[in-house]
Amino acid sequence: MTVSDFRRSASEFWREFRKVRSGVFGLIFLAIFICILIFEPLIVPYPEANEKWRDITYWQDLPSSAPPSWINLFTSKKRAVSESIEEYAFSETLAGAMRIQEYVFEYDYSASVAPSDVVFHASGVGKPTVVISIQRPDGLSIDLYRKQLEMSPTQDARVSIDRSAQTAAMNFGKKYSPSEGVQLQTIKTTDVLFSEAKQGIFRSPSPLVGIYKLKVTLLLQKAEEKIEDAFVTVAGRVHGILGTDNSKRDIWSGVIAGVKWAMLIGLLTALVSVSIGVVYGVISAYVGGWKDSLMQRIFEIFISVPMLPVLIVMSAVFKPNIWVMIGIMCIFYWVGPVKTVRSMGLQIKEETYIEASRALGASNTRIIFKHMVPLLIPYAFASMALNVPGAIVVEATISLLGLGDATIVTWGQILQAANSGGAMLSGMWWWVVPPGMAIAFMGMTFAFVGFAMDKILNPKLKTR
Amino acid sequence: MYWKYAIKRVLYGLLMYAILIFIFSALFNTVMEQTLRAQIEEQIRGETMRMTSLNESQLENYVINRRNDLYSLYRLNKPVAERIMWRTWDTLTLNLGNSTIIRSSKGSRSVWDVVSEAVPKTLLLFSVAMLIDIVLGLLLGLKKAQKAGGFLDKSTSVGTMVVFGMPSWWLGMIMIMFFAYGVKIFPSGGLHSTPPPEGISYFFDLLYHLALPVLTLVVIGFWGRAFLTRNIVLGVLQDDYIMAARARGIPERKVLYGHTMRTSAPPIVTMSLLALLASVGGNIVYEGIFSWPGMGNLYWIALQQNDVPVLMGNLAITTGLYICGLVILDLIYGLLDPRIKVGGRQ
Repeated sequence: MTVSDFRRSASEFWREFRKVRSGVFGLIFLAIFICILIFEPLIVPYPEANEKWRDITYWQDLPSSAPPSWINLFTSKKRAVSESIEEYAFSETLAGAMRIQEYVFEYDYSASVAPSDVVFHASGVGKPTVVISIQRPDGLSIDLYRKQLEMSPTQDARVSIDRSAQTAAMNFGKKYSPSEGVQLQTIKTTDVLFSEAKQGIFRSPSPLVGIYKLKVTLLLQKAEEKIEDAFVTVAGRVHGILGTDNSKRDIWSGVIAGVKWAMLIGLLTALVSVSIGVVYGVISAYVGGWKDSLMQRIFEIFISVPMLPVLIVMSAVFKPNIWVMIGIMCIFYWVGPVKTVRSMGLQIKEETYIEASRALGASNTRIIFKHMVPLLIPYAFASMALNVPGAIVVEATISLLGLGDATIVTWGQILQAANSGGAMLSGMWWWVVPPGMAIAFMGMTFAFVGFAMDKILNPKLKTR
Repeated sequence: MYWKYAIKRVLYGLLMYAILIFIFSALFNTVMEQTLRAQIEEQIRGETMRMTSLNESQLENYVINRRNDLYSLYRLNKPVAERIMWRTWDTLTLNLGNSTIIRSSKGSRSVWDVVSEAVPKTLLLFSVAMLIDIVLGLLLGLKKAQKAGGFLDKSTSVGTMVVFGMPSWWLGMIMIMFFAYGVKIFPSGGLHSTPPPEGISYFFDLLYHLALPVLTLVVIGFWGRAFLTRNIVLGVLQDDYIMAARARGIPERKVLYGHTMRTSAPPIVTMSLLALLASVGGNIVYEGIFSWPGMGNLYWIALQQNDVPVLMGNLAITTGLYICGLVILDLIYGLLDPRIKVGGRQ
C-alpha cells in the first residue's frame, strides 16, 4: 500500500463518513473539546485550578457551597453575587509621627440575600493597626474590627469580616431586636450587617439595599511602613458559572481543567492499547500453528480478568500516579480488538497478494506491517474511538474511590469530593451534575465518531 | 459429545483461575505479608498482656518463641517463591485468612465469611437488573430492526450513544439526589429498612429498596442491549433464507419472531450475559453509592478501613465468579449453537 493509495482510501472513507450525521456531530463536539483545551486559560477565572486544586489558601476568598450565579434569573429572591472591589477613595492625614491612611470602598448591595463574606486584602511592610467600620445606607455606622495586622510584601494579609466581626454584629443587632436564645456562634455576620435595623434582625432579616461604605483606617507608626494593593472581595451567595463546592473551589475551573486529563487518559489508553491489540492479533493470525495457540492462551488469561476490581486493588496497593495508571489500563485494554483482528487477519492472510509477496521473498515483518496492518487501520480507528469513553470512566471510578492521582484534578475526583462531602444529601446539584455530564458528553462524542465509523466498516448494518 | 466439551471447558476455567490467583499472589505478596506480620505482632501483644506471672527475660523468650511458631505456622520463614505458592494454594482452597477490622454480620473475622455474605446480594441486584434489561432491550431491539433507519431506530440509537460513556454510579448519584432527597419516593440506600420488617413485608421492603438501583442500571443498560439486538437481527434479516421465507408468504411477525429470533438468539444471549459479567466487573463500585451491602460495597469499605485481607479475598472471589460466568456463558452457547459442540472448537 503506497501513500497515494492510502490517501485515496482515506478520502473515500471521509466521503462515506460525511453521510453519517451523528459522526459529523461527534466531530463537531470533538472540535469543541479541543477548543476548550486550547483556550482553557482564557475561559476560566482561576487558571491555576489544576495545580492549586488542593491548596486551601488559593480558594479562600470564594464563598462556600454557593450555587451558580445564573440561578438568580430563576428565583425571586436574588442572591448577592461575588465581586471584587478595587476602586477606593484614599486619604492620608498626619498625626504627629503617625500616618493615618483611610481607604473607603463602596459596595452597591441590591440583592435580597446578603453576601456570605466581605474580605479586606492588603500587602505591604510593617505592623499597622487596622480599623474597619461600615457605613450603611440608613446612616448607621458599625465598628467591625480593630487589630494589629502583620503585613508581608509577598503575601496578602486578609481580614474576613464574617469571621472577625461576629461580636460587633451581635451588639448591633441587640439594639433593635431581642436577642434571647440567640447564640453568638450561630450569627451570620453579613446577614445582620446588610439587613434593616428593626425587630427580627437575627431570625428573619429583611435586606437593606443601597450603597455601603466600607471604611478601612490604617495607623502607620513608622516611616518605612507602607501599604500596597488594597482591595476588597465580596464572596457572594452565588458564584461564577457553576458555583463552588464546600471547600470553596470554583467548580467551572475544575471541570474545564479536567478536560485535558480526560482527553489524555482516554486517547493515550485507546491509542496504545488498540495498537498493541491490532499488532498482536495480526501476528497471531499470520504466524499460525503452536505460536498462534500460545498467543491465544495468553490472550485468554487477560480476558478472564475482571478489570475494574483488579485495577482498584492495584491502585490501592501501589498508589500509582496518572501515567502509571494509564499504563495499567493499557495492560487490560489491549485485548479488546484482538479477537476481531485475528479473524480478519486470517482472511487477509489467504489473499493472493500476500502469497505473491511471500513468493517475492518479503520478510514476515514486511508482510505484517506493510500488507496486513494497513488494511486494519480503519477498524483500529473505530475501535480506538469506542475505547476512549471506557478508559475515562474507569479512571473516574478509581478516583471516586479516592485512589486517584492527587496532583491533578479529574472529573472523577470532583465527584469523589461531592460524594464524600454530602452533595447529594444537601441537594448541591451544581457539584454533582457538571462533572458527570462532562464525562457523559465526552463519552458521547467518541461514541458518535466510533459508531459512525463502525457503520461504514460493517456494510451489513446499513439500513435497508 | 456435549458433556466432553463441558468438562473440558470447566477444567480449562479452573486452570485459568489458578493461573490468575498465582499472578495476584505474586503481585500482592509484599503487602499481604506486611499485614500478616502486623496481625501476628498484635496477637502476641494480646497474649503477653495476660501473662502477669512471667518476668522480663521469660517474657522476651516467650515472644521470640511465639513469633517463630506463628511464622512457621503461616510459613513466613520459607523462601519467597514457596510463600507465594502456599498463598496461591490457600486462596484456591478458600482459606482466605482473617480480616484486620471488618467483621461479618455474625461477628466473624474470617474473610470468607465476610465476602460470602456479600455475594448473594450482588447477584440479586445485578441479575434482577439484567433480566429487566434484556427483556426491554430485546423488545426494543426487534422493533428497531424491523424499521431500521426509521424515527424510533434513529432516536434510540442516539440514546445508546448518549449513555455510552456515562458512569452508572454518576446516574445513581443523580437518581438518589432526585428520587431519594428531592421527591422522596425511594429510600436513599441500604438493603432494607432498619429494623427490618418480618415475614412477607420483608420481601416488599426488599423490593422497595431494590427499585432505585435496579431502575438506574436498567436506564443505563437497556439502550446498549437494544442496539446490539438490532445489529444482530439486522444482519440475520439480510440472509437468504429470510427472503425465501418472506417469498413463501409467511407472515412478517412469524418471520421476525420465529425464523430470525431462532438464529439471532445465541449471539444475543451470550452478548447479554457477557454484558452482565462486564457490568458486574465494571459497575461494582456502583453498589457503594446505594450502600447496597454487596461485593462492590465491600471494596469500598475495605479501602476506607484499609483492610488488606478483605480486599484481597474479595478480589479472589470476584475473579472466581467472573471466570465462572465466562464458563457458564460458553456452556450455554454450546447448548444453543450446535456447531460448537460437534468436535469442539476449531
